[in-house]
Amino acid sequence: MPQPLNSKDASLFRQVVRHYENKQHKKGIKTAEQILKKNPNHGDTLAMKALIMSNMGQQEEAFVLAKEALKNDMKSHICWHVYGLLYRAEKNYEEAIKAYRFALRIEPESQPIQRDLALLQMQMRDYQGYIQSRKTMLQARPGFRQNWTALAIAHHLSGDLEEAEKVLTTYEETLKIPPPTSDMEHSEAVLYKNTIMAEAGKVEQALEHLEKFGHRISDVLAVMELKADYLLRLDRKAEAEAAYTALLDRNPENSLYYDALIRAKGIASDDHKTQKAVYDSWVEKNPRGDAPRRIPLDFLEGDDFKQAADVYLQRMLKKGVPSLFANIKSLYSNPAKRDTVQELVEGYVATTSAEGQSDADKTDFLSSSYYFLAQHYNYSLSRDLSKAMANVDKAIELSPKAVEYQLTKARIWKHYGNLEKAAEEMEKARQLDEKDRHINSKAAKYQLRNNENDKGLDNMSKFTRNETVGGALGDLHEMQCVWYLTEDGEAYLRQKKLGLALKRFHAVYNIFDTWQEDQFDFHSFSLRKGMIRAYVDMVRWEDRLREHPFYTRMAVSAIKSYILLHDQPDLAHGPLPNGSADDDNERKKAVKKAKKEQQRLEKLEAEKREARKAASTKNVDGEVKKEDPDPLGNKLVQTQDPLKDATKFLTPLLELSPKSIEAQSLGFEVYLRRGMRKISDQLTKNPGKHALALKCLSAIHAIDASHPTLHVQTLRFRKALDSLSEPLAPQVAEVVNAEFETLLPKGQNLEEWNDSFLSTHKESVSHQQAGLTCRQLLKPDSKPQCEQDLTSTLDSKDITIETALAGLELLNEWGSNQAAKAAYAQKASSKWPEATLFRVD
Amino acid sequence: MVDILPLSSYPSYIDLLPSIQTCNITNLPENYFLKYYLYHALTWPQLSFVAVVRPKHGYTKHTTPTGNSAGSAAEQYPKVVGYVLAKMEEEPTDGVAHGHITSISVMRTHRRLGIAERLMRMSQRAMAECHRAQYVSLHVRVSNTAALHLYRDTLGFQVESVESKYYADGEDAYAMRMDLSNMFIDWAEIERKDRERAARDEKEADEGDEVGEVGKKETDGEKEKERMVRVKVGRGLGVGDLVEKNEAQTA
Repeated sequence: MPQPLNSKDASLFRQVVRHYENKQHKKGIKTAEQILKKNPNHGDTLAMKALIMSNMGQQEEAFVLAKEALKNDMKSHICWHVYGLLYRAEKNYEEAIKAYRFALRIEPESQPIQRDLALLQMQMRDYQGYIQSRKTMLQARPGFRQNWTALAIAHHLSGDLEEAEKVLTTYEETLKIPPPTSDMEHSEAVLYKNTIMAEAGKVEQALEHLEKFGHRISDVLAVMELKADYLLRLDRKAEAEAAYTALLDRNPENSLYYDALIRAKGIASDDHKTQKAVYDSWVEKNPRGDAPRRIPLDFLEGDDFKQAADVYLQRMLKKGVPSLFANIKSLYSNPAKRDTVQELVEGYVATTSAEGQSDADKTDFLSSSYYFLAQHYNYSLSRDLSKAMANVDKAIELSPKAVEYQLTKARIWKHYGNLEKAAEEMEKARQLDEKDRHINSKAAKYQLRNNENDKGLDNMSKFTRNETVGGALGDLHEMQCVWYLTEDGEAYLRQKKLGLALKRFHAVYNIFDTWQEDQFDFHSFSLRKGMIRAYVDMVRWEDRLREHPFYTRMAVSAIKSYILLHDQPDLAHGPLPNGSADDDNERKKAVKKAKKEQQRLEKLEAEKREARKAASTKNVDGEVKKEDPDPLGNKLVQTQDPLKDATKFLTPLLELSPKSIEAQSLGFEVYLRRGMRKISDQLTKNPGKHALALKCLSAIHAIDASHPTLHVQTLRFRKALDSLSEPLAPQVAEVVNAEFETLLPKGQNLEEWNDSFLSTHKESVSHQQAGLTCRQLLKPDSKPQCEQDLTSTLDSKDITIETALAGLELLNEWGSNQAAKAAYAQKASSKWPEATLFRVD
Repeated sequence: MVDILPLSSYPSYIDLLPSIQTCNITNLPENYFLKYYLYHALTWPQLSFVAVVRPKHGYTKHTTPTGNSAGSAAEQYPKVVGYVLAKMEEEPTDGVAHGHITSISVMRTHRRLGIAERLMRMSQRAMAECHRAQYVSLHVRVSNTAALHLYRDTLGFQVESVESKYYADGEDAYAMRMDLSNMFIDWAEIERKDRERAARDEKEADEGDEVGEVGKKETDGEKEKERMVRVKVGRGLGVGDLVEKNEAQTA
């Protein structure tokens, strides 16, 4: 039903559209209302009004209005287009695409609708749809280079490299004269085509192409890199050597170039002498560079190594380069090199300090050497913490103002297992240079590690924009400070303040959502800018965005929080004192107290919110920033289904980090619990959860068949199968049993199986911990003996403080009594007297 | 050891952006959304560089075109210890094409290795070669003597002016710049040949459709260009209210 307006109203309608385009929202609404007074059911006007309201942040009202508009005019492409735009604003892309398609059916020639559809198809990676859209757009306007490029991108990303190259070539052939060298769009398009050829494996052709056109391309470095790479791949050694030499002339600090140069020169990997000579020649060319001096230490051995290391270390120590140890430590995987370095630097210290009377240079050299040794003895592969402390104290004595030295002292305390002291010492380091944000960040981090959330935030606030809504914490959210939010959440998790912990983890989760959404504007922007290679790399990166360790770490902690919440639902009300779960009365009292505390905090937070509201709710842009209705995460923690919520974090983790044992073992924990729930408890039936849990186990098995976690989880899975409250569906059971048979055969005597595991892995404490866990599961009456055996693992010479701490956690898991925990903790404390980690409360 | 790598040209290390953002917010008070980094990486991909610790077993992920390879993720994401984020001034007030250092920093633990100098030199050269930037400009805190030393004494920048209260905490900035025209590529020979060829073609009076050039002049093209300013990036999601500041902490 098209709804014609009289000429005056039609002109008003055009004004509405113009106001919208110019972002004059209020004027737009006013004009729309003027039309609606006379034509209250005019669909297009209602739709435009809805669109403007949506842009003003009134999402819900906008949707109501847009639906009304559609009801009034189902045949209007404007109504459907707006409907799609509203869905798009809500990030419901699937519905948006549907609405755009309706709009296009009515108005097939509309460029804006076609473009909006194409952008969403790209965002959703609907490559076939995108190819179709781009073809239509190209037919409509073949004169635009970007329409050709876009179609090529569509083919390229869909995997059709031939077609992509063909499209680019077709366009190039229409160019009668070569575009000027200043035409970046052309320059980039040529390089784009070149990389497609190489990706298709046509290296020879790509090289030829580059040799023909490379001299006209202004991204000189990219051309040089590509050419060198092709030459080396084609084994054209002499030319490759020249190409990498040219690259090194530009940038002598790139180890990849040296690797390639050595290959191009055909130097055998065991011909250290010739290699060293190559590096020496680059030192001569760039006396101030680091790479050619440092790299030979990787391959030299014996006396050659000692000699080279001596020269390198002395030079850097004399210069006082603070990153020397960071630059050296990767050598320590070779124990002989580790010992040589130690011997050398200990020697410098001995000779220099024996020389007595000292000038300034000598003092600097000496303090640098002490500093190096402090880091050396603090490093896991060469650890001797008392030596580390002695050295750092000497370094500090010589240079009391050196931030790095004080920082290292804090790190030594961390390794001692005394987080309190570590935080204190780091705070001292911060005070040595209050204008430096790096040391400020470190101080805050150490406070968080010591579970001092407020102190940490207070330090952070010295460098944040505190006028942001929500103050310093608000700014850290807004500036996407992932490291801080993650550390803050983990500190809350350790304190079992699960609401706040989940709050932070969700915040990081949302930041990743934002990062994914960020690409949207570039689907059109990059076509206009013509920087296609960077755009395509970005699209591919976005597809594996959550593979980043920032995501992995946060997701692991979030899932642990939800598992903890599932196992101890009382934690929804706040942290409870240890041991209160044993006695029902005690438990009720503790929960009541926790609830009270939760209410108190909530009230406090509400008051703060009111105070802020009174002060000002508008930020600089005049936009009203929404206050967070749940700043403490109480709604998150009071979830009906923690395990389902955990799945949201788990799915990307398993998809993008399938090789992570930690991810797979957490997947097992979540799925096993979901599978074990009584049917009556389930909101939905979960027949496949056992199979999913088993899939995780098989994945771990494929990575490391003797992993200690796998051992325990395998047994727990067996016990779960043996004690199902309802049998698995027959088809599921068949698959599960068959697959599990390969991990743990049904006929296997479990105690023998566990004993053999224990005796095979005698030397590893983690494996002993796993074996003992299984033993007390198999034979509950052996628990006291298992507890004693676990305590005895503390005598192992290889045990680290982290593994020892994991042992204490195990006693909690086993439900051991206070006496057993105290015995373990006491023994650990006497082994690590400086540590505060083994306090049992 | 530390390698200096391109951010988003070739090979691409664009997946290091979150780590670069972390490096920035750990070191400096002037911070940006990830989208603002993306905006730099995708508009001037040749100009930004990153300094990373070379992973023990090399850069596995970056050798395959699709970026997929097995192994632990932490190993695949090398540690970022420095970066330079750079751009071309989009609407230069003096009408002269020039580059600008949006942000540069090096982790305190990796100073005095010459990383900042190397990052700067790589970016400057790319500005001159790719974008024919006449000069590069930057701002630096008046109290930051180490950075000032690098820019003025090592690299050859000159102080243009002092910008009063440039930084949010009230500190003044030196506005510095350095001429880059000596690094231009000499296109004269290629351009001369192009001109000759164009003249020849004209003589032959070829009425062929010059798609590329004509297309750019269409009014629709202008419209598209106008829309460019609406792309939302940076703090506050609007590029408009974004004040890029630069703070270098180097030695």
